[in-house]
Amino acid sequence: MIKDKSKLGSALVWGGLTVALYWLLFHYAGGFQTLAHTTLDACAVGGEYYNNATAELCAAENGTFIEGRWWYVLAPIALAFALSYTHGLFTGLFWDLVGLTAKK
Amino acid sequence: MELINFVEITPLTAILLILVGFVGGMVSGFIGSGGAFVLTPAMMTLGAPGIVAVASNICHKFPKALVGALKRNKYGQVDVKLGLILGLFAEAGVLFGKQVMTDIKNTFGAVGTDLYVSAMFVVTLAIVGGFVLKDYRKLKALDAAGQGDEAPELTRLARWVQSVNIPGTMIYSKGAQARLSVLFLAPIGFATGFLASAIAVGGFIGVPAMIYILGLPAIMASATELVIAFIMGLGGTIFYGLEGVVDIRLAMLILLGSLFGIQVGAIGTTYVKDYQVKFTMAVIMLTVLFSRFFYIPGYLAKLEMIEPLPETTLSILKWVGDGVLALALIVGAYTVLSALLKGMKEHKMKQAMLTRTEVAD
Repeated sequence: MIKDKSKLGSALVWGGLTVALYWLLFHYAGGFQTLAHTTLDACAVGGEYYNNATAELCAAENGTFIEGRWWYVLAPIALAFALSYTHGLFTGLFWDLVGLTAKK
Repeated sequence: MELINFVEITPLTAILLILVGFVGGMVSGFIGSGGAFVLTPAMMTLGAPGIVAVASNICHKFPKALVGALKRNKYGQVDVKLGLILGLFAEAGVLFGKQVMTDIKNTFGAVGTDLYVSAMFVVTLAIVGGFVLKDYRKLKALDAAGQGDEAPELTRLARWVQSVNIPGTMIYSKGAQARLSVLFLAPIGFATGFLASAIAVGGFIGVPAMIYILGLPAIMASATELVIAFIMGLGGTIFYGLEGVVDIRLAMLILLGSLFGIQVGAIGTTYVKDYQVKFTMAVIMLTVLFSRFFYIPGYLAKLEMIEPLPETTLSILKWVGDGVLALALIVGAYTVLSALLKGMKEHKMKQAMLTRTEVAD
């Protein structure tokens, strides 16, 4: 099945890194969701987040008011870059390994 | 206050997203820029509100666009200056479009964005799909006449645009090999960004505009579009991220399948003729258009813009829409894979024959 064994080592390294990043994303999925919902002022009510919140509106719903932090937006951007890079390299090597190449 | 729910990701949803990403990536690699159009409707079908689907699709695309742009720049296919200028105007379009989407969300809720995204899809795919179908017929006729490999001439519009000289606004475009006025670039960039903010695919405007209005060769237009896609994708992710609607899990699951698929699709194009690519593109576009069309009555009823529809009618319409989208994905996967396998087989046979002839000589 493997047509070019010289690339196996690199493929395993990039594949391993990709798996580690996906593990990070799904292990801390709750944390990433909280970051996504709290780039703006938000109100947490029973595990759900409401946008366009104010402290008064949130108190009326018996929720917890969370002050937004704009820089939380950098979390998905950083992860998207890292995963595109490692996974992109891995998939390229993967198709080379199985011998799927462009017509010369 | 506005509640925006992210989709619950079960193992089944995750597998479906990876599969959809794979097919979307394959179609994207096969037909070039703009192929990610199947992903937004698929995410919406899996339950993501329109605004979340668009934002997450934009987020999964922009690093891919950067990698693609760097790769194709090595082959000299990217007009970096033109891409940066168009990207700047596209950013303004994204910002404006994001504001339109946010206003719709704040006024009509998440269902309002579903209706807006679906309507934009139907209109865009009808127009672009129609043009691509026309192009397919033209290319097929040229191929039959043995002129398929000849470079197309500049359009009359491109010749005029390249002849206009407005002092103080001119830049030299390496791709068009001509001086172009920024005043022509501004509306093209803005419209590209606006469309990207609405359906996550701006290439439907950017690529044809660069070819037919600015006079770039097709290969440079699609490569330069990657620069624009990166700039507006990064901006779009920031703008939508600040609204709290980028679901990184959704984006990365799509990316997982899409990066496998995109390379299969790109390799597939080296084994087929241009008109076959156009045909695939037109068929998938028109099928996706029909799938979105069936959801619109349901959204209109939810927004009370039409009389309420019976539950059974709504279920049937949704079922048909889901079915048509699944059909589009299956047709897309089948077309690309069959073209690739057939092409590889023919290529291997030709190589074997050549080897036999050389040995015999």
